Formats: sequence, C-alpha cells, structure tokens
Amino acid sequence: MNILPRRRSRDEASGAWYPRWYWPGFALPGTLWLLVLFVLPFYVVISIAFGTVDPVFQSPLPVYEPWWWTKRYLAQEWHFATGEFRPVELRTIVYVILATAICLVFAYAVAYYVARFGGKRKGLFLALLIAPFFISYLMRMLSWVELLQPNGYVNSVLTFLHITPHPINWLAGVPFTVVMGLVYGYIPYMILPLYGFLDRIDQSHLEAGRDLGANRFWTFLRVTLPLSKPGILASLVIVTLPMFGDYYTNNLLSGSPKTTMFGNLLDNSMEATGQGPEAAILVLFLVVFLMIPMLYYMRETAKAQRNQ
Amino acid sequence: MTRREVLKRSGAAAVLLSGGGALLDACSKPGTVSSGGAHANGPGVGSYWPAGSPYPLARQDAPVTWKLWREPIKSGLAPEKGATLQIYNWADYIFLKVVKEFCAAYKCNYQITTFNNMDEGLAKMRTGQLQFDLFFPTPDVLGKLITGKLLQPLNHSYIPHLVSDVWETYQNPFYDQRWHYTVPYVTYTTGIGYRRDLIPDAQIRGMSNPYEIFWDTKFKGKIGIYDDYREAISMGLLKNGLTDLNTGNPKYINQAQQTLISLINAVNVRTSINGVYIGIPKGTFDIHQAWSGDSVTSWQYTPVQNMKTWQTLGYWFPADRKGPVFNDTITIPANAQNPVLAHHFLDWMMTYKNAMLNFSWNGYQPAQRQADPATLTTTKGYYGEPYVFPWLSDAVVRESDFHTGYFEEELTPQVDQLWHNAWQAFNSG
Repeated sequence: MNILPRRRSRDEASGAWYPRWYWPGFALPGTLWLLVLFVLPFYVVISIAFGTVDPVFQSPLPVYEPWWWTKRYLAQEWHFATGEFRPVELRTIVYVILATAICLVFAYAVAYYVARFGGKRKGLFLALLIAPFFISYLMRMLSWVELLQPNGYVNSVLTFLHITPHPINWLAGVPFTVVMGLVYGYIPYMILPLYGFLDRIDQSHLEAGRDLGANRFWTFLRVTLPLSKPGILASLVIVTLPMFGDYYTNNLLSGSPKTTMFGNLLDNSMEATGQGPEAAILVLFLVVFLMIPMLYYMRETAKAQRNQ
Repeated sequence: MTRREVLKRSGAAAVLLSGGGALLDACSKPGTVSSGGAHANGPGVGSYWPAGSPYPLARQDAPVTWKLWREPIKSGLAPEKGATLQIYNWADYIFLKVVKEFCAAYKCNYQITTFNNMDEGLAKMRTGQLQFDLFFPTPDVLGKLITGKLLQPLNHSYIPHLVSDVWETYQNPFYDQRWHYTVPYVTYTTGIGYRRDLIPDAQIRGMSNPYEIFWDTKFKGKIGIYDDYREAISMGLLKNGLTDLNTGNPKYINQAQQTLISLINAVNVRTSINGVYIGIPKGTFDIHQAWSGDSVTSWQYTPVQNMKTWQTLGYWFPADRKGPVFNDTITIPANAQNPVLAHHFLDWMMTYKNAMLNFSWNGYQPAQRQADPATLTTTKGYYGEPYVFPWLSDAVVRESDFHTGYFEEELTPQVDQLWHNAWQAFNSG
C-alpha cells in the first residue's frame, strides 16, 4: 500500500486509514481562496498594467493575452520611478522604518507585559488590545484630525502646561505627525501577534535561564528575545506591508507634498482619468519591492522551522 | 455585469467612435481603433476635433452640437406611477427637501446614489446595470457619455422652465448646443477663499496679482489648494499670467508645475478637497483656492454660529470677472426606467423656487434669471440668512461670466497626460 510515510505512523496509531487525497484535501479551500481572491485579481492588475485604455472613456482596458501586452506604461513609469518619484520612495522607506521601529518598541513592551504579568486580568487586557478594532481606521484618524487642530485639545494641553508658547500646527505637513499617525494606526496589528508568540513561550525556558545564573535582563535578552524572533518578524511583515501602500494617513494628517508617500502617488493615478495602467504599474513596482522583506521573512521562518 | 461584458461594451464604444466603421477585429490588438471617417459619421459636430479624438471637443470658441442618436421620448406622456426616481449625484450635492417636495408632488419615491469623482460616476454609468433616471455630469465628460450612447436626448416640451427661468446662455451652451442632452444644474467660479480677519479685503483686491497671496510666508502652513490636478495647475497658469486653462503647450504646463512646486518650499502648501468649507472655518487654513459655492456655504460650518464669525470668511474673484468659471449639468441616462418623471424633475430643478431652495442648502448658485446678482446678497434664503453674505459678493456668478471667464474643458489624452505628469511631479514634493 502506497501511503505517505509521514502520515502512516499517526494513522496506524489511531487505527484509521485515510485515502491519499484526504490530508492534502484540507488545503483545497485555502488554495481556491488564494486562486480566486489573489491570483486572478493579480493577473487582472498585470493585464491592466500591460494593457491599454478605452479610447472613449479612457478607463483601463485589461489585455489578458500576453502577446498583446505593451511596455509603454512600464517604460514611462520606470522613468518616473527612477527620477521624479525618487524623493517619495526614499521618504516612504524612512517613514515606514521609523514608524515600524516605534511600533515595535511599544508593541513589544505591551505584549510582553500582558503575556508575562497579565495574570488574572489577561482577558481584560486582551479585550482592551482588541478595542481599537471596534472603530475603523478612518474614524480613528479623523478623531486625531480634530485633536490636532490648531485650537484642538492637544494644543490646549500643551499651551496650558507651557510646553509650547503657541499652538503647533500639527496638520501643516509635519513628518512627525504622519509617522506618529502610522504608529497609532498600525500598532494594534503588531501587539496581537507579538502577544500570541510571547504567551506561548514555555515558562520552563525562562526558569532554566534563571537557574543558570542569568538575571532578568539577560534572561530576556538571551532567552525571551530569541524565542520571540518569529513573532517579531511576523508582526513586522503584518505592519510594514500595508504601511508601504498607505495613503489616507498622509491625506488626513498632512496633505502636503512634503510628506507624500508612495501610496499617495498610486491614489493620484487611480483617481485620474486615463491613468489606470500607470496606477497598475505602480502597484507592480510596490509588489516587487515588498517581495524583499517578504522573502527575508520566509527564509527566516523556514530556518526557524528547521532548527526546531 | 461581468468584466467580459464591460469589455464588450468598451469594444462597442470603440466601434462607435468611428461611426461604426472601425471594428474591433477579433484578431486585432485590444483597445485599438481604426482612424478615418469619424468626422462625417461622428457623434457630434464641432470645429475643434483633434487628431485621435473620437468626438469633437467643446470649446467656448468651438461649440459642439451633439447628434440625436435616438428620438427623445414622446410629448404629453403621463409620469410613471408609483415609481422610485433613481438619482445618481455627487455626494452631498442636492438638498433632500427639494427632492422630497418633488416626490410629494408627483407621488413617487426616490433613491439617491452618490459618487465622489467623475471617473467613479462614469465607471458605474458604463456598466449599464444601474438604471439611474438622473445623472449629474460635468460638461467635460459629455463627449464620452454621448459617444457611448449612455444619455438620452431631452424632450424640451417637458422642461418649459429652462426657457422661462434660466439664463439664455443655457439654451445654447457651447458644450451642448441647443441643449439636446443637458440642463444646467449649478454654476460656480474658482477664486481664493481667505480669512478676512487676517487679510483685509482691500489688501487682496489691491494686489496687482492676487494669486501671489498663496506665496505669502506669513501664512506658512495654512495655505491650501484643491486636491484636483486641473484646478491646481490652472491656478499655476493663472499666476503666471496665462489664461488658456486647456493648454497643451508643454512649456506652459512645465512652468505652472514649477510655480506650484515653489509653493511647497515657500509656504508648505497643502492639498485638500474640503479646505474651504471645513478648513477655513476651523482655522486649519487661512488661505485656500476656493470654489465660490464652497465659500458661500462655509458659514454653515463655523464652530461658533454668529455674524462676527461669518464675517471672517472671504472670497476673491477677479473684478474683471476673468477667471475660471464652470457649471454642472443634469442629464437623463439612456436606460432610465422613469424617463417622463425624470424630465419633470429637470423642469422642477429649473424652476426658480426649487432651484433657490437648493441654493440655500448647497451654496452653489443656479443659473436663474430672477437670481439678480444685485439682490442675492440681501434676499434671505431658507435658513433666514442672505443667499450670499454681502462681503462674499465676489462669489455671485453672473451670466456674463460665461463670456468673460475661462472654462476648464476636456483635454485630449496626450495633453491630459502632460497635466497629470505635472501634478504627480508637484505631489512628489
């Protein structure tokens, strides 16, 4: 009988026999999901990027046959991507790195506290961590727009405490505001996966570290931190990828060309008549760029699995 | 409708542009059309027909008459009974009270669907699946809509108030001669909105080039322009002394781009779409490029509702009325399910009383003969305040503005690309 070797022992142990397709069959819904909701739409994006526009309506006209694809828009956008868009690209990278780093520091501290010291109140803390998801990202940003107005509460408090003599125009294209907006918006997405990983760390590992003479600091540095590396990487991926395409944080909290991010260029193209292929090309550029951290994440995850 | 059907429709549109002569051969490259023969059998007649354009482009000095691709509905038909009037309009652009009163008079229901920009509006119209009775396009997309046979010709006998109540200009607008497909909805100009308590009227009116106020470093961080590439680059052109807001000259477009870019370093300019009616009243902006309708209605958004606060809201438009001027239109889609009711609605909106009620709410002025510019600042509207506050008199649109002002009209795709590139360069900082 030709049964998959890895399955056989477990199957034999339970006394049950499964046909060969049984276990792989569980991947079918996920595969279909991926095919219908990722592969096909992505092919449409490619078909638009290398397609054309409707001669009357100027709307994107996807070309599904690769032999009819045109590289006109690719050449045009490549020219911009390596020229006029360069400051935006660099700015986006800097903003995302800064925001992610700040997110990581705060999210790790919160997740660590809840996982290690949450005790009986863990449930409450978890509910509080999930609370931001009850309000949409847009609404949370809009509330900050109100708070950061020249006559808003933030300035009222700062001037009342004499931290600043005059109200600060936080919304006047201030990079700090945009970065903090990204941090505020995405930090819940980092805390939860980090908490998941930290909570699963076996307590006996920490005790072993302490038994071997390490103090709290060194136990954290030598045991907790390395064990939570997959969690850190996963949360970085979860947060970083959407940040690179984010446009409404900058739209709402700044609106200045000085803080334009790559997502804003994409958004501008999407909203302009006849710019559909250009927008699709920019999407492809972003996808290719984001493959770099994604591949690194996959390599590290595979390495961690091998080590286990 | 599936994407395939949408594409088939796109193909059909492509066929139309050459009067049926240019077929999308099954073996030919998608999206391509043959040239030639289009003028004779084209969808309209006009003297400005750039190479590659599937229809004539309307200009103030080159008006377009669109052909009737089908007969209008017959005269004297009774309005559809128990119908639901499907209105497809910009978000927050029509006073519900006006619609409700119409429905009470004609015993119908209504359903309003909104779009946020013209592309979005066109995209849904093109599917043909959503059967709207009324659509509110800007004049610069009429060529697309009529070439795609998405609008139906109007039967003027249902709309007598356009002749009796509306400016004569709109009985023969340059973008739709003999108003075959459109009636005017509202009119507006683009000028400068500002805080009068910070910038006296006399100061801005006394400037040799008031557009230079955008470069005043005193207001750094509190200056905005519209997040709209046509409006923004047009402002750059006007600042540079150019008045052709449809120019295809790369040199002028590039100069306008550089002008706008210089704004970033000078005053850290920001772009917004609601900066006039929300940003200025809240103090986020002191100066903002402004549509007259936004300025007129901005008093409704001040945090403190009193005359002293309202008096801080200013609007400037050139005294010689040589500035950007526009209007939106109302049309009836080809597949409207209640075309008779829709015709009656057009007439309803052309009636002085209803048009002015709508004006009270949305701040955008209808092209009404009785809306005398001299009395608009003293006549009280629905909310008990003048339609236009006296200090905003520059925001009152006059019929003559459509002879002296400059229209932003449809560009060819090649020219549009130049404008868009300039906008992206500006946005890149």
